[in-house]
Amino acid sequence: MSQSVLIVGCGLAGLTTALMARDRGHRVRLLAEGRGSLSLTHGCIDVWKDGHLPAALETLSAHHPLKRIGAESLIASLEAFLGFTGAADLPYHLPPGRNLRLPSPTGSVHHTAAAPFSLANGSLDTPGVLHLAHIPEIGDFEPALVASGLRRRGYAEVALIELPLPESVRGDRAEPLRIASRLDQAEARQALCRAWSPRLRDVRRLGLPAILGLDASVEAVADVEARLGVTLFEIPTLPPNLPGIRLERALRRLAQAAGVDFVEGASARGEVDGRSQGRRVSGVVAATAAGPRRFPADIVVLATGGALAGGWLGFTSGEVQESVFGLPLEAPSERQQWVREDPYSAQPYARFGLQVDARQRPVDARGRLYFENLYAVGGILGGADRTREGSRQGIDIASAYVAAREIPT
Amino acid sequence: MTSGPSASASVPTALIAFADSDLCVKCNICTSACPVAAVTEEFPGPKAVGPQAARFREPGQPRLEVALDWCSGCGVCSRVCPHHVPVAEMNIIAKAEAQVTARHALRDWGLARPDEIARWGRPLRRLVGALLESALARRAAEAAVGLARSAPLPRIAPVPLRTLAASRSSATPGPAGPGTAGVVAYFHGCSTNQYEPWLGQTTIRLLGGLGLRVELPPQGCCGLPRQSNRDFAGARRRAWANLASLSAWAEKGIPIVGTSTSCTLALKHEYRAVLGLSGAAAEAVAEATYDLFEFLDLFGYPGNARAMAPVPLRVLYHAPCQLKSHGVGSPALRVLRAIPELELLVSESECCGVAGTYGLKQERYPVACDVGRRLFEQARRSRVDLVLTDSETCRWWVERHSGIPSRHPVEVLAAALGVDVQPPLPTGSPR
Repeated sequence: MSQSVLIVGCGLAGLTTALMARDRGHRVRLLAEGRGSLSLTHGCIDVWKDGHLPAALETLSAHHPLKRIGAESLIASLEAFLGFTGAADLPYHLPPGRNLRLPSPTGSVHHTAAAPFSLANGSLDTPGVLHLAHIPEIGDFEPALVASGLRRRGYAEVALIELPLPESVRGDRAEPLRIASRLDQAEARQALCRAWSPRLRDVRRLGLPAILGLDASVEAVADVEARLGVTLFEIPTLPPNLPGIRLERALRRLAQAAGVDFVEGASARGEVDGRSQGRRVSGVVAATAAGPRRFPADIVVLATGGALAGGWLGFTSGEVQESVFGLPLEAPSERQQWVREDPYSAQPYARFGLQVDARQRPVDARGRLYFENLYAVGGILGGADRTREGSRQGIDIASAYVAAREIPT
Repeated sequence: MTSGPSASASVPTALIAFADSDLCVKCNICTSACPVAAVTEEFPGPKAVGPQAARFREPGQPRLEVALDWCSGCGVCSRVCPHHVPVAEMNIIAKAEAQVTARHALRDWGLARPDEIARWGRPLRRLVGALLESALARRAAEAAVGLARSAPLPRIAPVPLRTLAASRSSATPGPAGPGTAGVVAYFHGCSTNQYEPWLGQTTIRLLGGLGLRVELPPQGCCGLPRQSNRDFAGARRRAWANLASLSAWAEKGIPIVGTSTSCTLALKHEYRAVLGLSGAAAEAVAEATYDLFEFLDLFGYPGNARAMAPVPLRVLYHAPCQLKSHGVGSPALRVLRAIPELELLVSESECCGVAGTYGLKQERYPVACDVGRRLFEQARRSRVDLVLTDSETCRWWVERHSGIPSRHPVEVLAAALGVDVQPPLPTGSPR
């Protein structure tokens, strides 16, 4: 029998759980305070920064989300994700068994498992000269910084080329979001290519800030590549950043079309089923425009994110609580131990979060289940330092996959 | 209970807005979601004119902010903000407080009064209707007062809903019936009363068929059109009058249901968050108010026991911005999914563009059309029989620009429950 599943949070973990649960026939509602931070990210799927993952899994502690999930489910989850982006006309490239190495907007090397094709084409493992476009009108992207960073890291064949935007593409506000929206239209792309074509005689591979289309990026990239006769790749910019926005829109539209009900702008508090002797949750109470309203559900999935997304709250008393059901998280009672003085060292608070059982259900410090029908995915999971590990999106997608699989049908 | 104009003393909304702006971390999620900024460079986006500009506003000081006027008030920004910044509310308040001379004061005065226009115009409604359909008259109206000549305007109904359903009208709530047979108060809004009374009749019949007794409390315009056209004082008078009447139902625990999503949002939210009204009546009415489908979904209507007849139509459902701002999702979709043979497609667009009275204004009309373009194209491309949307201004706007008839979702539910729907729904085209 299909279950009514309520997911709290609409970032990558929430959206992926929604799509996967819907695929399994459940009735899905997604409730969130805002639109989630997916649109602020680089739009790539980071799984593990250093080296090959199966080997790295061996070294992880049993409390790490990926250790518990395992390589097999991780790979299956990434395949499911590729299916979603393919269905949403935003195909991703996932080279098997190795990371992509892509230029970051600061000239460092971004190690990531999967990227949309427009970013993946910038792979630093592909030989030959990389040309980077210097578009003087765009202030949010500095190609000289990218070039010097890459050269310092041993990628010598980087050259800059000045490519001003034609009037009709530039407009009065040359912001990446507006430019991308214009480049969804064929006429704007024609104007762009007419202006740029004479300047690109010896260019094979050209890197641009991410501006090639908003809702029709695949078409825009293919069209501009054909007209210019070069291979194009994009580099993420400051937010609002197109690759993240495209992924957020693609997954949200796919979920809406699949029948997922979106409740936006409502913050939630968990509700425990009084008739179950506290063994089950019955949904959430959310702050709607009218005031508190009940959102009952058979299953609740926490996809509320980590510290920065509001998934947990730290109090001056030294307590740390998950923010929807108030589940206690393990943390040093002395708050000074939450952070280290050197801001670049590993921060203890980064690992705060829920521990879960093999089915992604939160458990207490002694491993006892809190509620039979409460699940947790993504950044609220403890035991990982997602920024340092470069494991953020991998944990989101893999935990979503396990939770959706384990929700009883 | 607080009531009357004396209690409507202005609260220092500018100070509230200033405090809220500190919550903004400038992530730009609202900017990338804003449907107006996406289509016009005149509007720098909700963050720029909202929490960012609020820091430079001094209460009582004059200011000239032209960019702010491009905000349509659709509310997407507040809804998507992950940090509880009431961006749209800040912008609506700032717009009303800005010392700008309206270019078309007469038009804005009229657009703020849909209720009065219909009451005064009813004796001459044939003439008014003919003028609205005359290209020449519309051209003249555009030149004279800035009313967009191609914008759809409703016709005044010959008899208002409150006359047609006079027996339901009551000054005080009646006793609740025995058992599960409950009472609901219907907040029809002035559009259903004056322009589309058949929609109200369908709703009353449908609720009656579900075993509910429908009462029509005394009510006037919710005040939202005045609020959107800078007349906060007039909007507050309407609000207090409605609260004074509706609170009698709310305090007895009787749900107040509405079919007009912007009117119900006014009762739930704008009275308090934009007009700054507080007190027991405002709280009680807000909590008792439900969108019709929210009410049906939450309380389990029509229920599994009631067989639904097939409605073999292919429809595109578009949730109005104002409904999305209720924070209850798309309850109409949840209810309609149970109807056999109804093929439901979902809108991919944030907003249809009209945003109440915004798209009716000549200077905003092209932008409003551009905002809705994706929706109009989706409706045409997907070859649907109907576009369903809960708000009247969205329906009129989408119908005009997509060329596809647009109806309220309650009309489709009524058809499935065997309730008489007038005018009848189209029969599905063969595919």
